[in-house]
Amino acid sequence: MMKKDEWQFEEKWPKMRPCVLKLLRQDSVSRSEWQELFMNVHLVCLWDDRNGPPRVHEALRTDILDFIEQAQKRVLDHQEDSALLKAYIAEWKKFFTQCTYLPLPFGQLETTLTNKASPSSQSKKNQNDESIVRKLMLDSWNESIFSAIKQRLQDSAMKLVHAERNGEAFDSQLVIGVRESYVNLCSDPEDKLKIYKENFEKSYMDATEAFYKAKAPLYLQANGVQNYMRWADLALKEEEQRAMKYLETRPGCTSVAALTECCVNVLVTEFKEQILAECAEMIKGNETDRLQLMFKLMDRVPDGIAPMLKDLEEHIVSQGLADMNSAAEFITSDSEKYVEQLLDLFTRFSQLASDAFSDDPRFLTSRDKAYKHVVNDISVFKLELPTKQKGIQNKTQPESKCPELLANFCDMLLRKTPLSKRLTSDEIEGKLKNVLLVLKYVQNKDVFMRYHKAHLTRRLILDTSADSEKEENMVEWLREVGMPADFVNKLARMFQDIKVSQTLNQEFKDALYLNSKEIIADYVNIKILNAGAWMRSSERVPVSLPRELEDYIPEVEEFYKRKHNGRKLQWHHVMSNGIITFCNEVGRFDLEVTTFQMAVVFAWNQRPKDKITFENLKLATQLQDIELRRTLWSLIAFPKIKRQVVLCEPEARSPKDFTDATLFWINQKFALVKNGKMQQRGKINLIGRLQLSTEKSKEEDNEGIVQLRILRTQEAIVKIMKMRKKITNAQLQSELVEILKNMFLPSKKMIKEQIEWLIEHRYMHRDEDNINMFIYMA
Amino acid sequence: MADDEKREQMEVGSGDVDINDKKPDKMFGLKKWNLVAMWSWDVECDTCAICRVQVMDTCLRCQAENKQQECVVVWGECNHSFHNCCMSLWLKQNNRCPLCQQEWALQTTGK
Repeated sequence: MMKKDEWQFEEKWPKMRPCVLKLLRQDSVSRSEWQELFMNVHLVCLWDDRNGPPRVHEALRTDILDFIEQAQKRVLDHQEDSALLKAYIAEWKKFFTQCTYLPLPFGQLETTLTNKASPSSQSKKNQNDESIVRKLMLDSWNESIFSAIKQRLQDSAMKLVHAERNGEAFDSQLVIGVRESYVNLCSDPEDKLKIYKENFEKSYMDATEAFYKAKAPLYLQANGVQNYMRWADLALKEEEQRAMKYLETRPGCTSVAALTECCVNVLVTEFKEQILAECAEMIKGNETDRLQLMFKLMDRVPDGIAPMLKDLEEHIVSQGLADMNSAAEFITSDSEKYVEQLLDLFTRFSQLASDAFSDDPRFLTSRDKAYKHVVNDISVFKLELPTKQKGIQNKTQPESKCPELLANFCDMLLRKTPLSKRLTSDEIEGKLKNVLLVLKYVQNKDVFMRYHKAHLTRRLILDTSADSEKEENMVEWLREVGMPADFVNKLARMFQDIKVSQTLNQEFKDALYLNSKEIIADYVNIKILNAGAWMRSSERVPVSLPRELEDYIPEVEEFYKRKHNGRKLQWHHVMSNGIITFCNEVGRFDLEVTTFQMAVVFAWNQRPKDKITFENLKLATQLQDIELRRTLWSLIAFPKIKRQVVLCEPEARSPKDFTDATLFWINQKFALVKNGKMQQRGKINLIGRLQLSTEKSKEEDNEGIVQLRILRTQEAIVKIMKMRKKITNAQLQSELVEILKNMFLPSKKMIKEQIEWLIEHRYMHRDEDNINMFIYMA
Repeated sequence: MADDEKREQMEVGSGDVDINDKKPDKMFGLKKWNLVAMWSWDVECDTCAICRVQVMDTCLRCQAENKQQECVVVWGECNHSFHNCCMSLWLKQNNRCPLCQQEWALQTTGK
């Protein structure tokens, strides 16, 4: 009994207390004192188990509070802010350190108290968690000193930060110390940062916001948008750094992000309209640095970028079109200049997107959209094509001439031309790649394909390719950029076929040599091509060949029949060509001519000096009126030569001026003029651009494009319907564009017409309840 | 009348045309002629009834395997024509012409 009393609270507490106080004050505690404290706590908890522990707890609280009160007094002795902060931080640091030591001896108390509170053993968990004594200490601090002076603490800290913002230096540890006390003070296990968030963070944000709210408008007004942006950007960076320093950055704490957002709001969002108003002008002025700055600022604002994208787009369209239009005069007649101008624009706009907007994908999309607009614009096209090609798609909207010019440019690079001779192989390759780049933006790619194929046909038939390896590379590149496979395959097939034809020509010559017909072998080359690979429609163009030529035909046909089975041949004199000698009063010349041109001039062989009427030439050659006009015109007005092969009377300004009675004769004074001197010998090419099609078939060709588009559209609609079974109008349209975009952009009108056609022909029908829904009919 | 005149002239001229070596005699003489012709299978119907591809194109099978040259056309006694590849597969199942149902007898193979 006696012994037990000894271990009661009343007995023991006075022995424990001095040590507790020493610990609080951070006075030195001897080892024996320290151990005795453990012992005593243990005894009280074990033997005075009813009243002991709560009373120890209570006594502890009183002492802690007492201690805190003194601390508070010491802190509040300082009037000046930074001294106050310094004092507070010092006290807090001491106290916080003790928060780890003082609870240690009271381990037993913890266990007893928690077991009492919740008999179901949660003790284990509690040990890991915040200890009760520690909680007691922190809570007490929070309730007394902290609640009493936190406003002053915060205000002082914020004052310091404010001073720093204004450029005054001070000990940043003061603010950091305050923050740490806030962060560590909370004993709420749910949200350890609660006190920090509700007080420190909030007041930091409020102070920041207030600071800039006052300052920003003044600065903007005084210095203008451009300087303001620089200032705001700097301020944002500064604040971010400051936040990293003064705000809590432990994982899971979003203070810094929240502060940044707050700054962006005050500094940028607030003045969004004013800043953006300058964007268009800056783009125009190519002020990339400033745009870069604006981009950086606006990118932080929700939807801040959208107006900039719009400005960029508008700039590209208007600038691009202005440039194209101002250069219209020479770019429309020169496909090289045209393509170069387009590429130049592309490079410029890309440079802008890269310098000002760091190639941000959103800006690149805008660039693409706008550039597409420029490429496909028809204002240059209209300028360029007054009435000359009125046949082209007169039933549909006019389209950009771009694909045709691109194809022409390709031809100049791939054919033996002054241009392709001047350039190195790498340069040509680079330019071809550029063409492909622009082609990507062209909507009516089918027009490009048609022209490209025509040019290729010409090059292969006339053997004028500059580099056959490059030709075949080009085919692969076209495949790579997504040109329709059937088109690309057809091109590849033409190459294969021309090789087959070369072999055949050799065999033909060998056979002739064997039969001692060397003369024919010397004169004639044959190209017998697969109609499937080269052209579908085989329009017959009648021509009566001169005997000199006609005689060779059976020879070829016979040879071919021996070689092949089940094939029929169709002569394509439109494409045939050759070299003839021309002797006149001046000298002897070699002329490279088409078979039609041969047919015409050979008519004079029997009467070299005669003047022959148009009508008679028509009879002699059997050429269609329009073809004869064209052929004669090429002999009368071949560009770039001073003396023409054929002369006529009365004078004609165009092929249309010829009448049946117009007289034609061979120019006996024809000569080649070189450096102002007449030449007696020489060679000239009068073929010019080989006409692959006749005038009539050209119109049909254009209609063919429209027709093909209709079929492709129908085909694609059916394909989609078959897959989807049921689809809305809007979705159908967008899928359709996706499928067809490598060939052409289907117009809304055409899509509608084709849908109607397909409905009429029972490929699909409209949903009865929803007219915008289509259903596939198998 | 004019037609006749023309023909006459051509014939008159033809006497000394044959040998082109006599260049000085003639105002225009031939030096080189590059003749272009297109060949196609001599068929009545240009689509193969078996694979539904035009006979001038290779059949679907050969398109897939990219065999251009081997894909020829065959004619039966009935004068119907198909891709040779298509027909030889067809004959494994059915010895009749798919179009006229007559017993298939090979007339020619294209080459």
